[in-house]
Amino acid sequence: MKFAVLAGVVGLTTCAMWDSRSAPLATPESFAGIGDAATRSAALFTELGKVLTNPRCVNCHPAGDRPHQGELGRIHQPPVERGPDGRGLTAMRCPICHQDANFDPGRVPGHHEWRLAPREMAWEGKTLGEICAQIKDRARNGDRSLEALARHIGGDTLVGWAWSPGFGRQPAPGTQNEAGALVEAWINTGAVCPK
Amino acid sequence: MTTVSMKINGRAYGPVTVRDELTMNDFLRERLGLTGTKFGCGAGQCLSCAVIVDDPDGTSHTSPTCIVPAARFNGKSIRTVEGHATNGELTALQRSFIDHFAFQCGYCTAGFLNEGQVLLERLAKTPVARADLEKTIADALDGHLCRCTGYFRYHEAVRDVILADPGRYLT
Amino acid sequence: MDASRREFAKLVTASGIALSLSRLAFANEPGFAARETLPGRQRWNPAAAGEGRIDGVAKVTGAKLYASDFRAADMPGWPKHTAHAMLIRTANATHIYEGIDLAPLSGALKPSVFVTATDLARIGARVPSFYSGDLFCPVGKTPLYLGQPAALLIYESFDAFDQARLALRNEALLKFGLETGPVIKRDYGAFRFTRVAGATPDAPDVCSPVKDGWVSPGFFQNGERPIWARLPEPTGAAYVKAADYGEQIRAELDANAPSLLVLDRDFETQSIDPMFLEPECGLAWYDADRKNLELVLGVQSPYDSATSIATLLGNARASFKPAHIHAHFAYMGGGFGGRDHTPFPLYVALAAMFLPGRPVRLAHDRYQQFQAGIKRHAFKIHTRIGVDRATGKISAFAADHELDGGGLANFSASVAAVSANAAIGIYDVPKVDVTTVALHSRGVTAGSMRGYGTLQTMTALEVLIDEAASTLAIDPIEFRRRNALKTGGRTMAGNTYDVVVRTPEILDRLENHSIWRQRVEERAHGRRAGSVVGTGVACVTKDYGSGADASLSSVEIDPEGRISIHCDHVEMGNGIGTALANRVAAHLGAVADEVAVAEVDRYAVLGLVTSGDPHTMDQATQDAAQRDPRWVPAISAPTSSSIGAHVGTHSASEAARVIFRFGLWPAALELWGLAPTDPRVATLDAARWEQGRLVMSDLRPLPLSEIAARAHARKGVTAAMAHSFSRWSWSKATFAMGGQSWTADIDALAVRKSSGKFVRLDRIDVKFPPTVFNRIGTSYTSLCGALVRVEIARATGALRIAKAYTVLECGRALTPEIVLGQAQGGFAMGVGYALLESLPLYEDGPGNGQWNLGQYLIARGSDLPLQGLEIEVLPPLPNDPPKGMAEVVMIPIVPALLNAIFDATGRRFHALPVTQQMLKGALT
Repeated sequence: MKFAVLAGVVGLTTCAMWDSRSAPLATPESFAGIGDAATRSAALFTELGKVLTNPRCVNCHPAGDRPHQGELGRIHQPPVERGPDGRGLTAMRCPICHQDANFDPGRVPGHHEWRLAPREMAWEGKTLGEICAQIKDRARNGDRSLEALARHIGGDTLVGWAWSPGFGRQPAPGTQNEAGALVEAWINTGAVCPK
Repeated sequence: MTTVSMKINGRAYGPVTVRDELTMNDFLRERLGLTGTKFGCGAGQCLSCAVIVDDPDGTSHTSPTCIVPAARFNGKSIRTVEGHATNGELTALQRSFIDHFAFQCGYCTAGFLNEGQVLLERLAKTPVARADLEKTIADALDGHLCRCTGYFRYHEAVRDVILADPGRYLT
Repeated sequence: MDASRREFAKLVTASGIALSLSRLAFANEPGFAARETLPGRQRWNPAAAGEGRIDGVAKVTGAKLYASDFRAADMPGWPKHTAHAMLIRTANATHIYEGIDLAPLSGALKPSVFVTATDLARIGARVPSFYSGDLFCPVGKTPLYLGQPAALLIYESFDAFDQARLALRNEALLKFGLETGPVIKRDYGAFRFTRVAGATPDAPDVCSPVKDGWVSPGFFQNGERPIWARLPEPTGAAYVKAADYGEQIRAELDANAPSLLVLDRDFETQSIDPMFLEPECGLAWYDADRKNLELVLGVQSPYDSATSIATLLGNARASFKPAHIHAHFAYMGGGFGGRDHTPFPLYVALAAMFLPGRPVRLAHDRYQQFQAGIKRHAFKIHTRIGVDRATGKISAFAADHELDGGGLANFSASVAAVSANAAIGIYDVPKVDVTTVALHSRGVTAGSMRGYGTLQTMTALEVLIDEAASTLAIDPIEFRRRNALKTGGRTMAGNTYDVVVRTPEILDRLENHSIWRQRVEERAHGRRAGSVVGTGVACVTKDYGSGADASLSSVEIDPEGRISIHCDHVEMGNGIGTALANRVAAHLGAVADEVAVAEVDRYAVLGLVTSGDPHTMDQATQDAAQRDPRWVPAISAPTSSSIGAHVGTHSASEAARVIFRFGLWPAALELWGLAPTDPRVATLDAARWEQGRLVMSDLRPLPLSEIAARAHARKGVTAAMAHSFSRWSWSKATFAMGGQSWTADIDALAVRKSSGKFVRLDRIDVKFPPTVFNRIGTSYTSLCGALVRVEIARATGALRIAKAYTVLECGRALTPEIVLGQAQGGFAMGVGYALLESLPLYEDGPGNGQWNLGQYLIARGSDLPLQGLEIEVLPPLPNDPPKGMAEVVMIPIVPALLNAIFDATGRRFHALPVTQQMLKGALT
């Protein structure tokens, strides 16, 4: 966190290349003030959207067949492709570099299931409303019920990587538990999508 | 610390203890003095550090070494640029690289050689149609960066080895 | 220009350090020199039958070859263990540096040695003037530039070093205080090049840099920028004269004459990294007992590195002043200019001096290489061009260039001058006024890189020419033909080229190529739905040479006819070893069995001395100096400015000619039994080599081995060592050889008879190129034209190069395959520069230490037309020398791409790179 510290010392902001701390995520309770359930539900999803549209998530939910990387979401280098199983083409397979766990000396993230999200789950370039509609649609969410979706976001360990992405990457906002709680609260309020 | 043993170019190394943070690239270059495997970017983005990993199922793939811990290579069998020629006899691909003047500074050559060799071995098992050959080579080599040559001659060198033995590599 | 060389002359008397860059003799395991001598006697030599490079086998088998391959254990006679050093660099150049806090590095992470500015002051280190600026930022100062070192940490074990470097990524060791803003310094160099041609082509110029000298403007008091108008104070008549003519040219362009098309355009180019694949590194060992400093380095300028290290330590206190410096120079994993005069070797030497007795390795990782490596200058270019509407001829040209030189001067002033002299490219323009200034900034230091500023100015020019032609509705190639400089015409410096200018042939080939001929149909029909298609052309000329180039070589032939070559030029991928072997083979009939490059100090028997700066000395000084028969204007030059073929191989070629004339030819005459009175004795030019045999009509073909054996037996010349120097023309000297005189384009010569020792021959007469040639922009040039066809997807802006054609001329190609390879590589680098590569200059840029190849994109195979690039090399003209071509081949690619993008999209881009996002924006 060299540059964040440096920025603190000298008051520079341009040097802050990344921050190892998560941005905060509001709790479901903090939305209690919104009386209308549908409005509250949409607001909960909007809060969850901070996670879904975070580079840690979108980079591997790309619009095309190439993942992105880094805080700016640049095209992944080297230029890997989705491949038939979402784990790359023959010559460049995801797990060759992305091992079971992060390898911080090489700044490489890892997880034993490292792969691209299926093409129909692409989030890149979409509005939050579109992502919401997509995430509820069993044809485009891996045939998950809403309950399964809550378990996926709140408990899946590959999703959980987003909150411990290793050296050089800023984690997704909040914690995985907090994100899971938002999903449950959203479902419980009718799973309404923001406009 | 992890104790590792591995086979490099057919020769057994280890058991030896390595720190978990030690990259395979540093293990090869600093511990074993095998500097034919290069260090280019340290981020898995240029692949000049790639070696061949021979899997137990008889398949092979390349792997960068700069972003993978040495400990991950425990029990594996790998080949590096130093291991292609046997008793001074160059492989067809090494010959072809020389014939085509495929490299200039040569720093990326080990990576291209390993990738090209894996491709040849793959095609020998699962040949492709002639019409798909250029794309197959381009897909295989595209992860590797070269700053001197513009890649043209690496591609020609690989292609010509394949075209010289179409019965083996092409459907 | 080369201050370190000047200092070297003083140094040998003042400091008493003996410089030696010699081979070491080792038993058993191959020593450094043996590893670097290729391919070696016993090994297959691909170059012998034209099947490959002389370094081919070493490079496909992973042999230890590059500086980064060597550790102490690989160096016989060295201690076996290698220590590791790292530089801590600043990412802040706007606040006062308050020191380093080593507290986070405790226990095993504590460095054995820790070096700062204070230590350098304490030992009496002296920064060579070329690298002037603090090597380490002193406490209390604002860092001079982003990436300036603050400290050097040395660890005795690799594991401790490795753990420390990982730990340091999380720590801010450097402390900063008050904000001062960036350090303001005066510019690195400012020049005005103004030429007004005479009324007719034969008339002398009214005003020109050659005729009137180079001029620089005055400065505002306390200001860092020059003022270009006439001086407020009368301090320079020469400047006033040039400025007056320059202002007249500008006034004409401003006059809005209806007969004149005037285009007034800005163009901006970005900073980029040479991105050679092997990051800079070095290994050094100071043996305090013998006071001997040994180094292993990989640089384009070995002579500069060695002399600069000697300068650095020459005045140091006793325990930090070596008595000997032995530098070993290795093959390089790419250079492209970025390893020419880099300060890195100074830090390698310091690392060894501060941990005496222990070999120390200092190596950049890629982040550090981005943070500290020499960059290409970013330019701001403002141009006005006037074209006569009736004739389509360019009548006047005015431009102002501003270069961002970054933190250290390096070659910035030189790049400014060279790029300004390229501002009118291939064209003949009667009135030219170009100002240029290289500015200091807090950015990473910019210096030499392939193209050396001319890439930037000629890209701006060729884009402008395209616009002028289309505005006047003249075919772009016809417009170029009408305005091209012809052989014998004057450059904007006011001199003529020494070489034939083959622009018309290049333009003809471009015009007749199918890419060009089919451009209209292709544009109309496109190839795929949803994409636009365009075709672009550009044609450029690029000088080769730096105006003070030199080479040193020795060539030896043994009684079996085996040839060895040694040369001071270095191998960075350019194939110098193979080119040397091929050029010598033309004289001696066989490709060498052994070539050793980057050997700077094998030529002690020549006893060369030098003084002064060859770029700036006056004639009287040169005349006085040359009375010493061992004096030369420069002893050894960097491998740069595309001089490998032309200069790098020249001394070896001349040495080989001496061996042939005074060794092989007399031996052959003896074998043929020709009496000295036989008229055929004088016809050695009629003899030729065919498949290793010397052939003369009606005489028995003689195998080289037989001639060589006889030459040895009769104590003829079997080895020669030569030095050559070029200042836009060769030095020429005459030597007495066995009762005859021998005149050649060299200025020092030693010969060996049979297997005896080399003996230096005093020159009887010498003519060095006159110092007035320093005013010439260049006299050597080669040409390259390019066509590209692009397809751009409307929806995404993705650009695909469908086809491309490059046509060049480079005289006699010594290794045609390497010429083609350079042209292909230049194409790829041009594509990267035009479309992909870009570095922010300051805090967001590479000086922050966070850049790597995920953000910095260079061309991959998939960015290039792997099956669609055609390259044509014009056949050489009779008696054409080898000409430099490694830079020129990159340049036209960039403007041709921009012109093709205009053809496809209707949008002219005036800044680089043109990214996919920008193209998408232009199409939607």
